Amino acid sequence: MKNLLQKSLRQLTIFAFVVFALSVPSYFLLVDWIWLKELDENNELIAQRIENEFNDQHISSEKIAESIKFWNEIQPLSNIQHINQPLQKAERYTIRKKNRYTSRNMGNRFRDTNKRWPSDIPYKDFDGIDRFRVLKTNIRINDRNYKLTVETNVEETEETVAYIAMVTLLFFLILVVGFWILNRRLSKSLWHPFQDTLQKLKLFQLSSQQVIKFQKTDTLEFAELNATLDKLLQHSIATFKSQREFTENASHELQTPLAVLKSKLDILLQSNDLTERQYHIAEEMNKALTRGSRINKNLLLLAKIENNQFDSTGFIRFDTLLLLSIDGLQEYFKEKKLDVCFDIQPEVAVKGNSGLTEVLINNLLINAIRHTSEGGIIKIVLSNSDFKIINSGKNALDQNLLFKRFSKISADSSGNGLGLSIVQEICKLHQWQVAYNFENGMHIFLVVFRSK
Amino acid sequence: MKVLIIEDEKELSKSIVEYLSEENYLCEVASTHKEAMKKIGIFNYDCILLDITLPDGNGLKLLEELTNENKQDGVIIISAKNSIDDKIKGLQLGADDYLTKPFHLSELTARIFSLIRRKQFNNANKIKQDELEIDLLAKTVVVNSNPVALTKKEFDLLIYFIGNKNRVLSKSTLAEHLSGDFADMLDNHDFVYAHVKNLKKKLSEAGCEPYLKTVYGTGYKWKG
Repeated sequence: MKNLLQKSLRQLTIFAFVVFALSVPSYFLLVDWIWLKELDENNELIAQRIENEFNDQHISSEKIAESIKFWNEIQPLSNIQHINQPLQKAERYTIRKKNRYTSRNMGNRFRDTNKRWPSDIPYKDFDGIDRFRVLKTNIRINDRNYKLTVETNVEETEETVAYIAMVTLLFFLILVVGFWILNRRLSKSLWHPFQDTLQKLKLFQLSSQQVIKFQKTDTLEFAELNATLDKLLQHSIATFKSQREFTENASHELQTPLAVLKSKLDILLQSNDLTERQYHIAEEMNKALTRGSRINKNLLLLAKIENNQFDSTGFIRFDTLLLLSIDGLQEYFKEKKLDVCFDIQPEVAVKGNSGLTEVLINNLLINAIRHTSEGGIIKIVLSNSDFKIINSGKNALDQNLLFKRFSKISADSSGNGLGLSIVQEICKLHQWQVAYNFENGMHIFLVVFRSK
Repeated sequence: MKVLIIEDEKELSKSIVEYLSEENYLCEVASTHKEAMKKIGIFNYDCILLDITLPDGNGLKLLEELTNENKQDGVIIISAKNSIDDKIKGLQLGADDYLTKPFHLSELTARIFSLIRRKQFNNANKIKQDELEIDLLAKTVVVNSNPVALTKKEFDLLIYFIGNKNRVLSKSTLAEHLSGDFADMLDNHDFVYAHVKNLKKKLSEAGCEPYLKTVYGTGYKWKG
């Protein structure tokens, strides 16, 4: 995954590269055009000067012919020839030919000595082919027509392109480095409000019911984003809250009719003309009612834990609570002939709510008692860092369903499927970790108080 | 003995009155905070059953006023709220007991019985029924001057029976009473049977009359 700025940097770099690449031939054509135009002008001037200078001599025709011959010998880049008919118009063109001076001398020097070709001299100089701008024009000396050819060395095409390309590349590199540096600075400053919002969203927990305060920003998009998020969060929090309150209120309201039902059943049991059959019906009703009110009580407890109605900031003695619970359940151990062994470290103080911790211990212990077959083994281990309840069993339980509300894993109908959910919620509140494992025919429930 | 029932749920208070009246309790009912205050101002009660969620005010406030007026009435809070905070607050404000709805009337009766015994017989809290003598403070049982060694659960059951004399107590009710805080899970009804059987056996071995009868096959009744 790449971040947004890196992605845009890539696109920008490619675009800049294309633009710079296209600029190279354009610059070349432009420079070459200027170059040739200037040379044409220059050649024009030279022709003018030659014509003027010959005419200014006021010498005879024979002398002129001689002078021109001599001129042609010492001036290899211009040539004057007598013509009968004057040229219709001046011709301008570019030719490539051997440069007699530079190339021959250089070529001979290095051919003779077998020396390595020096790196600072372009190789093309060796074959001595150069570009020339030529002007063929008509001049009049002593009223006779002459054809004048002037040649001027022009910079090679390849050289011009190479120089332009080098400069362009340099600017391209400056641009890319500039982009990169700017990017880094922008991502720090410009994107800071966004990063801040993201960080806060990452830490947000719906169950904590705390509204996020976003950083103020003068960037329109971010301000809009924050405002939208704020609205969304407020709505979620309100919905979540009302949903939780509903559970609590519903369970609460159910308590009174359940209480009325229970009291009426108690009175029914006391009537003198109750038959045994009716008594048993009433007893079955009572059992169902008891289960119903337990589910209700557990739901209420869950709702209260979720609504943060418990203070878990005080220190409690886990070992004391555990011993009390074990003591209270002693008879159940005996009754099922369970082999119970303890390894309880004394003076284990943890931060938490004592009532809830008691519920947690009881639920786990009762769970172990309920699901261990007669004569089975239960091990209770408490240390400073964790609490373990191990009981013998046949098959591993489904971890995903285990802590889910109302999911009944065993066929035993006495549980209401809320005990372990409550354990999980209590752990969440205390910031403890609860885990389940199945090893060597043993169910292991582990509560870790603090991460190592 | 006079009991004031402060409860806004009419059907519930009706049941309580009906159940308690058979036990020679004189019951009065108040369904609002105002009505309750009026009654408390005029009469003295042995026991007040207080619902803390009243339509016109928090029952805990009523409790405060009661303490301020230095009333000695015993108070049992009956509440739909099973909140530990409320429980602690109520007990701190001078309530003697706290019972969460829904509850069995036999449980309530047993609590009222214990509360009144505690309040009225501070030092010599002994119950006598012919040859049977129970010391509630020392938690000892004597039959014909011979001590009977009962376990905590057996003693608890005995008091529950005595507090609900001549009432039919079903096995499930007793199971709920015995499991107490652990009610959440183990209603093992055989467990009740074992405890009752042991209690019966110990009492009869000590020479006690068979006051504890089995009714309808699985229920129990203490004849007194």
